[in-house]
Amino acid sequence: MQNRTANSKQTATGRQQAQPNPTTQQPRAPPQMVQNMARVTDPKHVPKDIRDQFLKKIHFCSQPYDFNDDTKNVKEKQERSQYLQELFDLLKEPNFVTNLVVPHLDLIIEMIEKNIFRPLPILKKTATNGEIGMEDDDQLIDPAWTHLQPVYEYFLQLIVNEQPDVKSLKIFITHSFIQEFLELFDSEEPREREYLKNILHRLYAKLVPRRKMIRKAINDCFYTLIHETYKFNGAAELLDILASIISGFAVPLREEHVIFFKTVIIPLHKVQTCQFYHEQLLRCSMLFLSKDPTLATFLVEGLLRYWPFANSAKEVMFLNELLEVLEVCEISKLEPLIPKLFKRLIKCIAGPHLQVADRAMCFFENDYFLTILKSYKPFTFPLLVPVIAQIADTHWHKVLQESLNALKTILKEIDYQAFDKALNTKDPKYLYIIQDAKNQKKDRQKIEEKWKNLTKQALQKNPNFKEPVVPYSDTHIVGEHNGLNNGNITIL
Amino acid sequence: MSENPFEVLKEDMENEEVYLKVNAMHRVKVVATLLGSDKIKSQLIPYFETLLKKEDDEVLFALAEELGNIAQIIPNQSSCLLSLLEQLAGFDETVVREQAVKSIAIVCGFLGDNDIANTIVPMIIRLASNDTNFTCRVSAVCLMCPLYARAGNQKEKIRQKFTELCSEETPMVRRAVATKIGEIAQFMDKIHVIQDLIPVLKQLCQDEQDQVRLLCMESLMNIAKILNSSENKTNILPLIIQSAEDKSWRVRLALSKIFADLAEAVGKEIADSSLIQIFSNLLKDTECDVRVIAVRSLARFIKFVSPEKLNLIVPLLQLLSKDPFSQVKQYACEVIGQIATLLPKEYSQSKLQQYLIDLMADDNQDVRRNAAKSAGQFAAAIGPEALNQFVPFLKKCMDDPKWRVRKETMQTIIQLALTVKNPDVFNKQLESVFVMFLKDRAAEVRSMGLIQLPALIATYKQDWAIGNFLSKCIETLSKDVGSLYRINALYAIQQISFAVDGPIAQDKLWPIVQKCLKDPVPNIRFVSIKVAKSLQKKIDNQQTLNQIKQSINELLEDPDRDVKFYAQEALQN
Repeated sequence: MQNRTANSKQTATGRQQAQPNPTTQQPRAPPQMVQNMARVTDPKHVPKDIRDQFLKKIHFCSQPYDFNDDTKNVKEKQERSQYLQELFDLLKEPNFVTNLVVPHLDLIIEMIEKNIFRPLPILKKTATNGEIGMEDDDQLIDPAWTHLQPVYEYFLQLIVNEQPDVKSLKIFITHSFIQEFLELFDSEEPREREYLKNILHRLYAKLVPRRKMIRKAINDCFYTLIHETYKFNGAAELLDILASIISGFAVPLREEHVIFFKTVIIPLHKVQTCQFYHEQLLRCSMLFLSKDPTLATFLVEGLLRYWPFANSAKEVMFLNELLEVLEVCEISKLEPLIPKLFKRLIKCIAGPHLQVADRAMCFFENDYFLTILKSYKPFTFPLLVPVIAQIADTHWHKVLQESLNALKTILKEIDYQAFDKALNTKDPKYLYIIQDAKNQKKDRQKIEEKWKNLTKQALQKNPNFKEPVVPYSDTHIVGEHNGLNNGNITIL
Repeated sequence: MSENPFEVLKEDMENEEVYLKVNAMHRVKVVATLLGSDKIKSQLIPYFETLLKKEDDEVLFALAEELGNIAQIIPNQSSCLLSLLEQLAGFDETVVREQAVKSIAIVCGFLGDNDIANTIVPMIIRLASNDTNFTCRVSAVCLMCPLYARAGNQKEKIRQKFTELCSEETPMVRRAVATKIGEIAQFMDKIHVIQDLIPVLKQLCQDEQDQVRLLCMESLMNIAKILNSSENKTNILPLIIQSAEDKSWRVRLALSKIFADLAEAVGKEIADSSLIQIFSNLLKDTECDVRVIAVRSLARFIKFVSPEKLNLIVPLLQLLSKDPFSQVKQYACEVIGQIATLLPKEYSQSKLQQYLIDLMADDNQDVRRNAAKSAGQFAAAIGPEALNQFVPFLKKCMDDPKWRVRKETMQTIIQLALTVKNPDVFNKQLESVFVMFLKDRAAEVRSMGLIQLPALIATYKQDWAIGNFLSKCIETLSKDVGSLYRINALYAIQQISFAVDGPIAQDKLWPIVQKCLKDPVPNIRFVSIKVAKSLQKKIDNQQTLNQIKQSINELLEDPDRDVKFYAQEALQN
C-alpha cells in the first residue's frame, strides 16, 4: 500500500511536468480499482461492493483540504491523489464508463465542482516574510495546483470520452456552471487556464444545445473586461476558443454574430491590457473578415478610433493589424476613412518612436495599400507629399531617412505631375502634423480670437457667466479634467 | 465684429484633431448663452444629434458634460436636452454613459415633480427595458437612485423595475444593482425596503458571482442603517452570517473591511449578541489578507460593543499576536493598546501585557514599531504601576537597529511622561530612556526628542531641566562624540534657556555655551552663536551681556564663512 502511494504520487508529479497526455504514461502497478474490476464478468451488473468503493472514492475526493499548506493532512492528500488516479484509469475501460461513471455523473460533476470552483487566490511571493527589501525571483506558483491538476485532467478526459452522451452531460452544464467556470479563467496559473480552455472547447464542441448559452456567457465576460475591470487573465484563452467557434460559423453570418463583432471584437482593442491577447484577437478578427469582408471597414474605423495613446508597443500592434485588415477592405468602401487613415500614418511616420515609424513605412511596400493610395490620389498626394518631402530632408535617423527618400521616389513614380503639384502648393494644409506647438498656435490664433470675443459678449449678456475651462491647454493637465482619478483606471 | 456663435462652433468642430474638437465642445456654453433658448432648441440640439453618430468618444464625453451646463443656462426649458442625454446614457463607452447620467440628474434638478413623473420616469423605464443594450439598463439603475424620491405616484413602477433588474442574467446589470441597492434604500419608505428590497438583497447576496456578492456588502451596511434593531435582526443579521461564511475570501474581506461600520449600523444589541461571534471567525480566517483587514477593523469595532463583552475578544488577540503573518501582528498591536483603555486594568494586565511585550521583540520592524506605540497606550491605561514592567523593554527598543522603531519608542516615552505627570515616576523610570535621544544616531530620533522637550520641561519644571537633564547635556558636550550630537545637545540647552530665569541662564548655561563658542567644529560655533543669542534675551546682568557680545565679536574674524555670517547677524540686532 505504502509502496503504491509513493508510486502514484510520482507519476502525478511526472505527468504535471510533461504534456498532459494520458497515453504516454510511465508503467506502474495496476491500481486496486481496475484490478477489482477485472473480476467483473458481466459489465452490466457491477457488484455492489465495487460500486460502493467507487462512490466512496468520489466522495473522498470531494472533501476540501487546505492545499496551500503542504504540512496539513498529508496522508489524506496522498490518498486523494491515488483515488483520483484510479478514477482516471477507469475512464479507459468503456464498459465501466457506461455502467459506473455515467450513472453517477451527478456525483462526479459535483466532485469536480467542489474542487475547481473556488475563490481564486492572489499568488503571493512570500506569505510569511513581510520585511521590506527582501526580493526573490521565484516564479509565482499556486501551491494548490499540484492537487488541482488531476481533477482538471479527469474532467478533460471525461468530456473527451465518448461514452457520456450529450443528453446526460447537458443537464449539468447550466448557465451558472458556465459562469463560474468562466470566472476561473482569471486564474494567474497559466497551466490552469490551458486546461480550462481545452475543457470549455470540448464542452462547446460536444454540447450543441448549450452552444448559444456558452457564447453568451463568454460575451458577458468580455463586456466586463471592456466596460468594468480592464484586466482579465484568461482573455487570450477565451479568444482562442472563440477563434475555433468563429471558424465554424456559417456564411452569411447571422446578425447575432455581426453584433458580436461590433460590440466585442472591435471594442476589445481599446482595453489597456490589449497587448496580452492581441495575437488571439487579431486571429479572431481575421476569421470574421474571411467570413464577411464587408466587416473590414468597421474594424479599420474601430482601430483608428481606439488608436493607442502614449503606448508605442501597442501602436506597432495596431499598425500590423491595420495593414492586414486593409488588404481585405474593398477600396471603394474606404472613402470616408481615408483622411483619418492617412493622417494617422503620417503621424506615426513623423512621430518620435522609431519602431512605430518603421512599421508605418512598411505600408508603402504593400501593393494593395499602394492601390488604395492611388485610388484616392486627389486626397492622399496633397497630404503625403509635402510632409514626406520635409521629413525626408530632416529626419534624424539615417536608415529611416533613406527609406523616406525611397518613398519620395515611389510617390514620384506613381504620378509625376501630381507629385510636383503637391510639392509646390503654397502653405500645405497638413504640414501642421509635423510642426511644433508654437507654429500650430499661430494657426489657431484667428479662431481663438473669435472665441475670446464671443466669451466677452456672453459676459455682457450674463454677468454671472463663468468662462469655460478647456481641457487641452498649456496650463493644466488633461487627466484632471477627464477625471483620470475616477477609479475606473487600473494602473498596471 | 459680431460673429455668429453657432458658426464659430461649427467651424471649430470642423477641425480634424480630436483634442481641438473637445476644446471647442467645452466652449459650447458660450454659444448657448449667446443663442438663447429658442435657438438652442432649433439649431444647437439638431446639430448635436448629427454629432452623436460620427464623433469620437472623447467629444461625446465632453458633450455629455456640457449638456449639463446648458441645462443651467436654460433651466426652465432644460427638458429639451433629455432626448440627447438619453441616447448618450445608452452609449457603449462607460465614461460617456456615466457623464450622461450625471447631466440628467442636473436637468432633473430644474424639473418640477410633474415632469419627473411624466417624462423622467418613463425614460428610466424605457432605458431599463432596453433588452439589446445592457448599457442602457446599467444607466437606468444609476438614475433610479437620485430620482426615486421625486417619482411621486410612479414610485411603485420604479421599485418594480429595480427588483426586476436584480434577477437579470447579465452580470454587469446585477453588479450595478448590487452597488446601488443600498443607495436607493435611503430614499425609500421603510416598508418598501423590507418588502421589496430585502428579498432581492438576499438573492444578490447568494449570487453565483463573487463580484456581485462583494458589492452587496457596502449596500448591506447602508440598509442596516435605516432599519431598527429588530428589523436588522430578522433581515440583515442572517445575511451577515451567511457572508461571513462565504466561500470566496474576497467577499469575506469586503465584509471585514466594513465590519466596524456594520456594527455601528446594526446597533449595540446585535453587535453584542451576534456580531462578536461572527467577527471572531473572520479574525481566524484561513486567508491572511482577510485577517489583516479584519484586525484593522477590530480597532474600531471594539468601540461599538459593550465593555463586558470585550473579554470574548481577548483570547482572539492572544491568537492574533502570534499570527504567522506579520501584518496581522502589526495591527493586532494597535488593538491591544486600544482595548486596554476599555478593559479592567488587572484583566488586561494578566491577559495581554505579556503578549504586547513579546511583540516588542518581534522579528518584523513594523510590528515592533506598532508594539512600542501601543505599549504607551497600554501602560497609560493601566497606570504608573505598569510602567516599571514596560520600561526595560522600551529601553531595549531604544537599542533597536531600525530608527523608525526607536522614533516610535521615543514618542511613546514622551507621551507617557506627559500623561503620568509624576516627577517620582518620571525620574525613576522614564527619564533614563528619554535622555537616550541625545545619543541616538538617527537625526529623526534626536529631533523628535528636541521637539518635545519644551512640553517636558513645562511638566517637570526647571529643577529637572537644569538638574539631571542639563548634566546629561553637558556629558554629551564634553565627551568627544560626533559634532552632530553636540549640536543637538546645544539646541537642547537652548530649549532649557527658554524656560529658566535670568540668573540661572547666566550661571548655569552661559559658561557651557561660552566654551562651545570656541569649539573646533565651525557648525558648533555658529549654533552656539544662536544659543548665545537666546541667552542674551534672558540675562539682565550687564557684565555677562558684555561678555557674550565680546565672545561673539571674536568670531567676526572666524575663518569660516558661515560662522562669520551668524556672528554678524547676532551683533546687528
